[in-house]
Amino acid sequence: MNAWILAATILLGAGLTAALWGVASGPLSRRMVAQNLTTAVACPSLLLLAQGYHRPSYVDLALLLALLGPVGTLVFARLLADELAVATPAAWGLTWTAAGVSAAVVVAVCAATGPSRAMVKLLVTGVLLIGGNLVASRALQGGFRQVRGG
Amino acid sequence: MTRRTALAATAELAAWWAAFGLLWLVLVSTVDALEVLVGASAAAVGAVAARAGRRAVTAR
Repeated sequence: MNAWILAATILLGAGLTAALWGVASGPLSRRMVAQNLTTAVACPSLLLLAQGYHRPSYVDLALLLALLGPVGTLVFARLLADELAVATPAAWGLTWTAAGVSAAVVVAVCAATGPSRAMVKLLVTGVLLIGGNLVASRALQGGFRQVRGG
Repeated sequence: MTRRTALAATAELAAWWAAFGLLWLVLVSTVDALEVLVGASAAAVGAVAARAGRRAVTAR
């Protein structure tokens, strides 16, 4: 057990518990927000675990999750557009908190990795994670309603 | 297609190809001649697809 694995355990334990509680209870808008933020919890945890166990291949999982997680949310946002238009989920506080946690984890892991190709890969993962999170949150809040027909 | 649009298309494809090629080189675990060859080929396919996608979106 080192600090990386401890941080990953805390993030996974607290974050995924909160996310599970969020998706399993309350109104649809809250469930959607919780489902969206699951990616923002699991992906930084994978980055921390990759560093903690010295397994760079775990970063591939984080990269894939950062790419596919927001896409999944966009599918939900499209399919549930009518329900979400009635009760629009607004969670910019949670979204920016998740973005801040992601950025902090990426910066910490980058600092530990040092300047190399691996660091660029981590930065690509971080940009995809934070950018995807912001886009998916905006989509949930009806930010792209004008493209619904397209 | 005029000479000007052909030039623009070539430049766009080259830009996509370079971006995807760089991304490939960043993401692979070891850089060797075979990876560079496969990456350049995959980036070329990706560049054509990216330009087609970009045109499909902007032409609306």
